[in-house]
Amino acid sequence: MIEAELKKKRISGDYGFFIFKLQEEIENPDAGQFVMLKAPDEPILAKPFSIYSYKNRELVLFIKRVGRLTGRIFSSPIGEIFYVRGPHGNPYVSSIDLTKRYILVGGGSGISPLNFFSELHPELTYTKLYGFKEGHIRKLFNENEQKHLVIEEETGHTVVDVLNELTSEEVGIIACGPIPMLKNLPKNAYVSLEAVMGCGVGTCKSCAVKTIEGVKLVCKDGPLFKKEEITWEWI
Amino acid sequence: MGVDLSIEVFGIQFKNPIVLASGPAGFGFELQPYLDFSKIGAITLKTITVKAREGNPPPRLVDAYGGVINSIGLQNPGIKGFITDIVPELNKLNTIKIGSIAGFNLEEWQLLVEEMDKIKEIPLIELNLSCPNIKGKRRWAEDVKLTQEVVKTARELTNKPIIVKLAPDVTDIIEIAKAAAEAGADGLTIGNGIQGMRINVETGLPVLKLKTGGLGGPAIKPITLARVFKTSEVLDIPIIGIGGIMNWQDALEYAMAGASLLGIGTAVMVDPKSPTTILSGIEAFLKRKKIERFRDIIGIAHRGGFSVS
Ligand SMILES: Cc1cc2nc3c(=O)[nH]c(=O)nc-3n(C[C@H](O)[C@H](O)[C@H](O)COP(=O)(O)O)c2cc1C
Repeated sequence: MIEAELKKKRISGDYGFFIFKLQEEIENPDAGQFVMLKAPDEPILAKPFSIYSYKNRELVLFIKRVGRLTGRIFSSPIGEIFYVRGPHGNPYVSSIDLTKRYILVGGGSGISPLNFFSELHPELTYTKLYGFKEGHIRKLFNENEQKHLVIEEETGHTVVDVLNELTSEEVGIIACGPIPMLKNLPKNAYVSLEAVMGCGVGTCKSCAVKTIEGVKLVCKDGPLFKKEEITWEWI
Repeated sequence: MGVDLSIEVFGIQFKNPIVLASGPAGFGFELQPYLDFSKIGAITLKTITVKAREGNPPPRLVDAYGGVINSIGLQNPGIKGFITDIVPELNKLNTIKIGSIAGFNLEEWQLLVEEMDKIKEIPLIELNLSCPNIKGKRRWAEDVKLTQEVVKTARELTNKPIIVKLAPDVTDIIEIAKAAAEAGADGLTIGNGIQGMRINVETGLPVLKLKTGGLGGPAIKPITLARVFKTSEVLDIPIIGIGGIMNWQDALEYAMAGASLLGIGTAVMVDPKSPTTILSGIEAFLKRKKIERFRDIIGIAHRGGFSVS
């Protein structure tokens, strides 16, 4: 695995931006792909993190604190060495209709791959909606980004409410976020799934998702699927 | 001085003792960009059943800090799918392939052994008698008679070496190991995941959809290691030691306890390069100790350890 030195962090509550400097390049990551990140000296699995941004060995991750590994990242001092491998998974552009532009709908840490998408593929980006519950999140984002935030505690609306006012036949939807949010999306949406992964490359079969074509793997066949292709009751 | 890592067991020459355990490495293909298969001794392929299985509903895997609990549920393409889609590709992996099978009744075991016997790319067969995460099924390896029945059945149908994968969490593994050996097993894999679970305290519910699963990783190493040690004390049969090998020291402990081959499961998921890293560690250790052949340390813990000079 590649050494990744924690260079900077900006935290608000359970969310934060983390910038790592990698000792080697990872190969041409594209939006939707993820890295597997491992903590030093922890006998636990590496975990998948979508790429928020990547340039010149500088990897930006937007992380929600949920468990032991993310807790460790939040409390790590600057200079701590982690390990990454990747990119794994398929770029969104290999799964979507390239003749359309897309509304990017994110919930919580799900905004990560969408941000990378809008950076790399502005021509495919119609607009972005970044949904969060709490207003304190605003301080993590710059002035340009503020207009994309949809904060539930401020307006009483979720990203899906806002999306329903915007959406039309001509624009597509790419969404990443919690399962209840994804389930509420219109039929034609592409959904980027998260799953508990072991290997991240398709061998261990942990990140299974049932589709109309049978069981698929989020790491190898995804992370992007068509919403109507998923058997949601199985997840 | 070069170190000889090779080892001959089951009449087969392995270039080194590192074996990928059945499951976490799948059929190996997706690991190829990360792991040089020509550098490892063997891969035990994902367990194949008669019918294709989609596996258990997710979540199927949970970290248990010190280990990982899985309840994949033997997702696999079934023996037919395996033969048409996987076997023709196996020559891409430049290492020895051990086929792994699991039947749900004796007829299924029969059919699986017959099919495996015909596959020339697979010189050895592992009988997975110990999968801990199949819904509603008792493990064959929990019972002396059942173990004996399956191994006898298999023995009659093939001349290929048969390895029997035992459960570490049984009352008396030696009794079951003896039964397997008497019934004609050429080797034993000790062991498999140990039944474990986690509960989400916020919801008050088990984390895994099937509630319990097989615990692997560092947490099980002392337990499985003791089983390898005890079994090799009384039985003269080659053992593949599996359970929590994360680094070269773990691997060496198994060899010293009596395992001829060393299986790596969870560590491959954490870092796909770990098998070759572990191998380099073993090699460096042997050099430092001026031991010329890996095989000389197998079971050394039974023989008074290294003589002090
Ligand atoms: C994701 C996963 C899938 C597994 N699938 C199988 C399997 O199909 N057949 C089998 O015999 N063992 C299977 N196992 C068990 C491993 O081969 C191994 O015996 C166990 O994980 C203990 O070794 P470890 O501590 O190195 O992980 C699986 C383990 C994991 C983690």
